Amino acid sequence: MNWSDIVGLDSAKQALLLLAVDPRLGGVVMAATVGSGKSTLARAFAALLPDGTPFIELPLNITEDRLIGGLNLEATLATGTRVIEKGLLAQAHGGAIYVDALNLLDDAVITQMMDAMSRGEVRVEREGVSATHTAQFMLVGTYDSSDGDVRGGLLDRVGLIVPFVSNGDAQARAEVVRRNGFTALTPGPSPGGEGSGDDESEMLRGMIGFAREQLLQVEISDAQLEGIAQAALSLGVQGNRVDVLAARAAIANAALSGRDAVDDEDLQIAAKLVLMPRATRMPESEQESNQKEQERETRGQGEREEEHDESQKNQQEQPQIEELMLSAVEAALPGDVMNLPFTSRRGKSGSRGVQLNNRRGKFVRAVQGELRGHKLALLPTLMAAAPWQRIRRDEGRGMRDEGRTLIPHPSSLILRPSDVRVKKFRDKAGTLFIFVVDASGSMALNRMRQAKGAVAKLLQNAYVHRDQVALVAFRGQAAQVLLPPSQSVDRAKRELDVLPTGGGTPLASALMLAWDTAQQARRKQIPNATLVLMTDGRGNIGLEVGREEGLKVRRFEGSSEKTNANLQTSKQQIEKELQGLSALIAADGIRSVVIDTQVNYLSRGEAPKLAQWLDGRYVYLPNAKAEQIAEVIGD
Amino acid sequence: MPPFPFTAIVGQDEMKLCLLLNVIDPRIGGVMVMGHRGTGKSTTVRALADVLPEIKRVVGDVYNRSVEEVREIRDKRLEIGTTKSPISNLQSPNLKSEKIAVPVVDLPLGATEDRVCGTIDIEAALTKGEKRFAPGLLAQANRGFLYIDEVNLLDDHLVDVLLDVAASGWNVVEREGISVRHPARFVLVGSGNPEEGELRPQLLDRFGLHARITTITDVGERVEIVKRRRAYDDNPAAFSEKWEPQQVLLRKRIAQAQKIVSDVNMPDDVLMRVAELCMKLGIDGHRGELTVTRAACAYAAFHHKKEVSDDDVKAVAFASLRHRLRRDPLETTGSDEKIARVLRG
Repeated sequence: MNWSDIVGLDSAKQALLLLAVDPRLGGVVMAATVGSGKSTLARAFAALLPDGTPFIELPLNITEDRLIGGLNLEATLATGTRVIEKGLLAQAHGGAIYVDALNLLDDAVITQMMDAMSRGEVRVEREGVSATHTAQFMLVGTYDSSDGDVRGGLLDRVGLIVPFVSNGDAQARAEVVRRNGFTALTPGPSPGGEGSGDDESEMLRGMIGFAREQLLQVEISDAQLEGIAQAALSLGVQGNRVDVLAARAAIANAALSGRDAVDDEDLQIAAKLVLMPRATRMPESEQESNQKEQERETRGQGEREEEHDESQKNQQEQPQIEELMLSAVEAALPGDVMNLPFTSRRGKSGSRGVQLNNRRGKFVRAVQGELRGHKLALLPTLMAAAPWQRIRRDEGRGMRDEGRTLIPHPSSLILRPSDVRVKKFRDKAGTLFIFVVDASGSMALNRMRQAKGAVAKLLQNAYVHRDQVALVAFRGQAAQVLLPPSQSVDRAKRELDVLPTGGGTPLASALMLAWDTAQQARRKQIPNATLVLMTDGRGNIGLEVGREEGLKVRRFEGSSEKTNANLQTSKQQIEKELQGLSALIAADGIRSVVIDTQVNYLSRGEAPKLAQWLDGRYVYLPNAKAEQIAEVIGD
Repeated sequence: MPPFPFTAIVGQDEMKLCLLLNVIDPRIGGVMVMGHRGTGKSTTVRALADVLPEIKRVVGDVYNRSVEEVREIRDKRLEIGTTKSPISNLQSPNLKSEKIAVPVVDLPLGATEDRVCGTIDIEAALTKGEKRFAPGLLAQANRGFLYIDEVNLLDDHLVDVLLDVAASGWNVVEREGISVRHPARFVLVGSGNPEEGELRPQLLDRFGLHARITTITDVGERVEIVKRRRAYDDNPAAFSEKWEPQQVLLRKRIAQAQKIVSDVNMPDDVLMRVAELCMKLGIDGHRGELTVTRAACAYAAFHHKKEVSDDDVKAVAFASLRHRLRRDPLETTGSDEKIARVLRG
């Protein structure tokens, strides 16, 4: 498959080209649904790199040992000197590492990768081995956002992010199928003439080589740098490293286009690939205020027109650059803003992504421990015992003199309890508590406060149990993940500071979203989930409405709570929906607790009924305190 | 490649100050830096090594011990363990010393306990059947700094080991056939992003200072960051050379402060106000007062003063106390606000 054969995917292609020009951009992470051609593209990227550049595909079940390297026992024993093997990270030095489904990679592996990327080297300090290997590599990864997010710490070290599939139009897709399918089906030279695609790849390689040499010559003005910083601020991007990355991207693009100074187009591309995916707020409102600011500034400048020095010119220029970059961000946004996986800490819509096969290998790490209740890790046990053999044998000889009977055969292995290594399933064996909170109606404020308190209580203990907490709130037409699974008190504090209230009660869509969250967590090896429903159990908005209206509601948050009478599903239908959904959730092995905290004189038994459907517990806690709720859940 | 120069790092003054105070007086007890991603946490800590003064140690000693220390161990027959270790010059009557840079050990997240604490020398065991101790990272860190980036991602178990050793100043390895005890006094520096994973509250308490860093919002400073970074990337050697005069100045200033810090006087009335401050903030125990006092003295020394004033206390109060206030995760008033309120009186 050649680079030029891949149709569409322009943003992704562009990002990869920039990365090839300046590997210090760190990497490219691309959103990809099955069959979008991203993995083909990533592999074609390898062909653009200079000859001999390493390109390593990282399997999802990679172990820490293989990743960072260690002692090669066999070679060490054979040669009599210590032989240390480089891990894959070090082997990728000067080249690229490719990961398909980056978000399914084990946490421990991601942590190692982050560590190596931040140092530019791999430091091995494990199992008696101490070594340092240089490891400067580019990371190219794809992810399917329906499987959850990519770890923030990792994204921070990857400069370019392509957060959604851009080849939406059918024509391009058809072309993908035609070309890709054609190549696959036609053996021998392709009809387009031998290597017509190769020619383009060849040409691109030449361009990249040339651009690499030009990088140092490309100029970027202070006003442009200010524009970048300002745009990053307006978009609420965290950290200062983004400025450096955005500048690098702009410079790389200029170099690739054969320019010796950064221009508007370069800045727009930097905005699109570096800033926008990291935005925590949308530019619209910001832009308005900036325009006002700009007007004010221009007016102010009119008064003292005479003093027109360099810095003032910069000041005047900079808001324009910022605006330019922000408009690039806006233009790049797809119709469905909420599909932005990184921007919205608010979680994703209720769409249930294609369930991927669980391709994650069982990632285990061997630790010293007792066999009781654990599985023996044979190889690590032998490795642990190996260095001691000669010493123990010598000691054994001494024991024989004392007339002991436990004399090992000279060729047998002497194992001691301290050698035993057992398999440890990495971390996260805790439970995910998903709070599903009714944020509609007059008592919503109270309920949210109780939920917040309970979340805090649980998080305080979370560290010990390795539990996580998520919170789904529902009101109006649809449910919303206010707090994605997290252990962070800080994050909970920030995300739950918003108090949504009023409107309809889309209970079904909340259950759906909670179920989704539980399934995503399961894929990340948090096997147990408990739903904590804080509601009176009276849903009045059906799933369909939630689904159709969801986008609108979320896009114009809080602007209109109008209920469309036509879309109102009948009460019976809603109840049926709830019952079915509840049964499915219960069948999936998810535990539930329904907590009714209202002093409710008009209760018609909906909440107990819901608990029954969910095969869960019903607890009536009028005016409950956070501690009480946490206690009930902890049982 | 030379590291990015400490003095060329823009902003983040609190973090820089906390690190320097610990250099001036290691008894302050380390620093935990928490904050946003991409704000230069690890760059700053890694840049620190280059401005640290030199120390003297016994030639080639893997534990970086001074001549006096080795003599003391020898004279008082303090047990140092029975297993053979790479240093056997304890016996030689004439101990020579050499100057080395203060060690900064950068702990990788994948480190295992045996490499941190030290274990049997695998090579010697495998090839010669010899039982010998191979010192670990804790030995290397003695009298220096031990840095853990992304400390909240480190294995809990390893964190416990580190904290224990940091508190006692001794590393004791007792496992099958190995018995070693060696000094391991170091300043523990941790950094992390609270969003990556929660820190155990007990962990935070164990650090002397707690620096918080956030995204720099000043556009001018941000532009300067990008420009310096680009200059450094283009030619690290030339960039470092350009900043060398500033580095030299800072090194001198640190050395000067180290010299006078033990003579800095804390007037009784200032001390009283420190105690009052801690009491009003409801801080249990005396660790808070002690840290404020030490940090304020180091701060005064860094500013060439021999007497601590209320202003010096104010300058270090936040970093010394903000992690010692009682925790209520969802409370809206931050600990900084509370401290500021009490300081205002």
